[in-house]
Amino acid sequence: MDKKETDDKKAAVIERESQTEALREMLRAPAAAPLAPLPLETLVPEVRQQTPAVRQRATRPDARLHGLGQTKYIDDFYLPGMLFAKIKRAGIASARIVRIDTKEAEALPGVVAVVTARDVPCNSFGPSLKDQPVLAGERVFHAGDGVAAVAAVTEQIAAEALEKIEVEYEPVTPVLDPLESLKLETPGLHAPNPNIYGHKVIRKGDVEKGFAASYRIFEASYRTQMVEHVPLEPHSSLATWDANGRVTIYSTLGRITLGRADLARTLAVPMSRIRIIATVVGGNFGGKNEITTEPVVALLAKKTGRPVKCTFTRPEEFTSSTTRHPIIMDYKTGVTKEGRILARQVRLVLDGGAYCSWSETTLAKACILSPGPYDIENIYAEAFVVYTNKTMTGAMRGFGAPQVCFAYESHMDDIAEALGIDPLEIRLRNVLREGSLSPTSQQLHSVVVRETLLQAAQRFGWNGAEVRA
Amino acid sequence: MKRRGRGIACMWYPIGFTVSANPSAAVVKVNEDGTATLLTGTVETGQGSLTILAQIVAQELGIATDDVHVVSADTDTTPMDTGAIASRTTYVTGNAARLAAEKAKKILFDVAAPLLGVKPDHLEVSDHKIQIKGFPSRSLHIGDVAERARGVNGDPPLGSASFNPATAALDPETGQGKPFATYVYATQIAEVDVDDETGEVEVLRVVASHDCGTPINPMLVEGQVEGGISMGVGFALEEEMLFDANGRQINPNLTNYIMPTSLDMPKVEVDIVDSYDPTGPFGAKGVGEPTCVATAAAILNAIHDAVGVRVTSLPATSEKVYAAIKAKRAQEGKRLAAGT
Amino acid sequence: MAKVTLTVNGEARTASVSPETTLLRLLREEFGLTGSKLGCDVGDCGACTVMVDGKSVNSCLMLAVQADGRDVVTIEGLATMERLHPLQQLFEDKGSLQCGFCGPGIIISAKALLDENPDPTEEEIRDALAGNLCRCTGYSKMIEAVRAVARAGRDERTAGSVA
Repeated sequence: MDKKETDDKKAAVIERESQTEALREMLRAPAAAPLAPLPLETLVPEVRQQTPAVRQRATRPDARLHGLGQTKYIDDFYLPGMLFAKIKRAGIASARIVRIDTKEAEALPGVVAVVTARDVPCNSFGPSLKDQPVLAGERVFHAGDGVAAVAAVTEQIAAEALEKIEVEYEPVTPVLDPLESLKLETPGLHAPNPNIYGHKVIRKGDVEKGFAASYRIFEASYRTQMVEHVPLEPHSSLATWDANGRVTIYSTLGRITLGRADLARTLAVPMSRIRIIATVVGGNFGGKNEITTEPVVALLAKKTGRPVKCTFTRPEEFTSSTTRHPIIMDYKTGVTKEGRILARQVRLVLDGGAYCSWSETTLAKACILSPGPYDIENIYAEAFVVYTNKTMTGAMRGFGAPQVCFAYESHMDDIAEALGIDPLEIRLRNVLREGSLSPTSQQLHSVVVRETLLQAAQRFGWNGAEVRA
Repeated sequence: MKRRGRGIACMWYPIGFTVSANPSAAVVKVNEDGTATLLTGTVETGQGSLTILAQIVAQELGIATDDVHVVSADTDTTPMDTGAIASRTTYVTGNAARLAAEKAKKILFDVAAPLLGVKPDHLEVSDHKIQIKGFPSRSLHIGDVAERARGVNGDPPLGSASFNPATAALDPETGQGKPFATYVYATQIAEVDVDDETGEVEVLRVVASHDCGTPINPMLVEGQVEGGISMGVGFALEEEMLFDANGRQINPNLTNYIMPTSLDMPKVEVDIVDSYDPTGPFGAKGVGEPTCVATAAAILNAIHDAVGVRVTSLPATSEKVYAAIKAKRAQEGKRLAAGT
Repeated sequence: MAKVTLTVNGEARTASVSPETTLLRLLREEFGLTGSKLGCDVGDCGACTVMVDGKSVNSCLMLAVQADGRDVVTIEGLATMERLHPLQQLFEDKGSLQCGFCGPGIIISAKALLDENPDPTEEEIRDALAGNLCRCTGYSKMIEAVRAVARAGRDERTAGSVA
């Protein structure tokens, strides 16, 4: 060993010690904070004391805590000895992973553990197709995929460590256009799953016969974009194990029963040893309906023996949580001279993104709802969902309904205009009524779409509404 | 020049999962002072579902909202629940909570009946009392009955129950069947100003009439509708996740991903339509998701009404609306020149 | 590490912080005041809003050292042991908050507005809240609550001037 090498080593040790000292300083427990003066008991509003309770404008007990800043969301928890986790994102939409080198990250002072796909006992999950990895191992399917995770004594060190993880990728040409994906031969993007990973048909009556009997036929196409849920509270979870091999996970999940099943699968731990507590979730809208950070913090907590918390950054909310399905929608509608719909044909292509997630539900709801709240005898609706190398799409408030509503209601106004019928009037002539058969021939009850049309029109002052009511 | 337009859109939306079982279970304990505790596995994600569930249990037991404490969202201590998804909490978890409360109430009635000298069938609850139907003066305080149930009869008043919406499988060929137990309906009407020189759209007013069956808590229903409309405004006009040619997001942040602020929010007028679903708890259905469904459609129809252009892809940004106006003018110009 | 001394909710507080520590992290991690939320960390969402010397500020954009010697009010500083701040009361009564995550920031922004302008128009309220994102409520019931607080203040002032 020459002198230079020895000096370098000494310097490294000194640097490390001084960093450790700085860390100790940073980690020093804060002096006991004086409690903020918060009301211990204020009046219970009278409306909460009324009977009968139903139909009361009762206030929310949790709203009082929200307004005081007393509500504890997951990110507000700091357990003694807790570590902070960060997830390294691929940043490339489609690639094979050749090599992941975490040595330098592990050596960074303050880093306690690093995990990759190799540490995940069962690296697949999903509400229907189990095509989603906890951390990508061999293949990256979208730029927001996680490839490694770090637990460190501070968030900043964890973030710094991510920079030191080296990943070598072999890029694979990404497919971004759902229509292109629709045409791909098998095995497609995500073998062994077929590229069109969901398909749904609703057939009622005979559309061809309906079109043949129509006075006019209208055709139009519509498209919608990908949007994010943007809950103000980012995804977060905190895991801590006990000596009986039980793990408690505080989480922002909106569905803990199924979340526990996903965790039991990915961690290969019996369900009875997993406790999930969802305190108060800071906004969901469908975006917090599957596990994200939960298995990662559980693995890191097990590896380190310390509680581990991981909170998404705002960019991760966009790149690495689910989003709303963009849909390409083709409508063809046959009507009488009076504007009665005789037949409607719909074709939907859903951009399913990198993983299935809640696509099957979205596909089914979009397809069933696509003819609109109208009494139509002849319907043919067909929907496809395909993989692309974009952020995964999943559950989002309305499951495909806002998309198809935009299409069927735009279409309705164009038909009304062409036939010279008032938009309110053409809807009243077609809407579902008590006992109507839905597109799936379900007999409907408590149907009040006509009443909502008239109520809204009257409130708005839509001409003619008063007469109809 | 600013041009005003109005647009209407109606919609329908189901409650619960498509065909698949999506049960909820609940446990209700009546305490010896006449208050109650509800255990539920659902998660409060902001909608106010725990308050709604408290109101449902309170109604079943004849007590007040404030008398019901809800314990939620802990896989160790609360019964299974499919969760805060598919606008299902009021209907599915609400039914389970009501049924659990009904079971606890049955124990109370069995205890109270001999004391009041009638059969349990002849009893009802009202304003913290268990009383004889038609003879409200003959009554016992629910707390006294609960205390007696525990301390004398040794039968503490608690109940557990579950509920799963009634569906039937869809035919794989035709998709025919009963995918959902029930649906809700709504209409929204939007009024907009469109600047025909910039394509900028301002949503001035949205009138919304929504069906949720019985509104368990009208204030919380309004809150859902107002929030859904704001999400709909963003979907209609502003929000879009953009990707570069390599599939990387261009705007993964709130600086460049534009969502509605207090300045973008129109004046909203909410009406809850008269409706009662006999399969829901006290006639209730649900309201969470459907509130954001019709908004974009109504706004896009209002844009069409204002400036005569049909934007067929969302979001209808100023650029897109202005391009459509320009294209329309060019076409009209051509027609004029051709003398048609 | 740098030493900062500041007033938080009326009390003098001292802490030793690393130079890059934001005021938000100082409040949350050192002082345990987790009412102010981290929603984006770059000043877009307003969930971290606090008052510094009477002005509303995104505490994720202000360094802890910049707050040295200044007066900071957080959501925890509004209520007393006896009663809620009128904004907190009205936000509760009117169902203005849903998930509540944006609530502390919004209430602080509203307070900063009312302190400066006790009788704002609806436009002024919308302007004052424009830096605070909310995804749940559509802002409607928040605006209503702020108006109600302003109205109550106006009534009180009128009653005072008569008396």
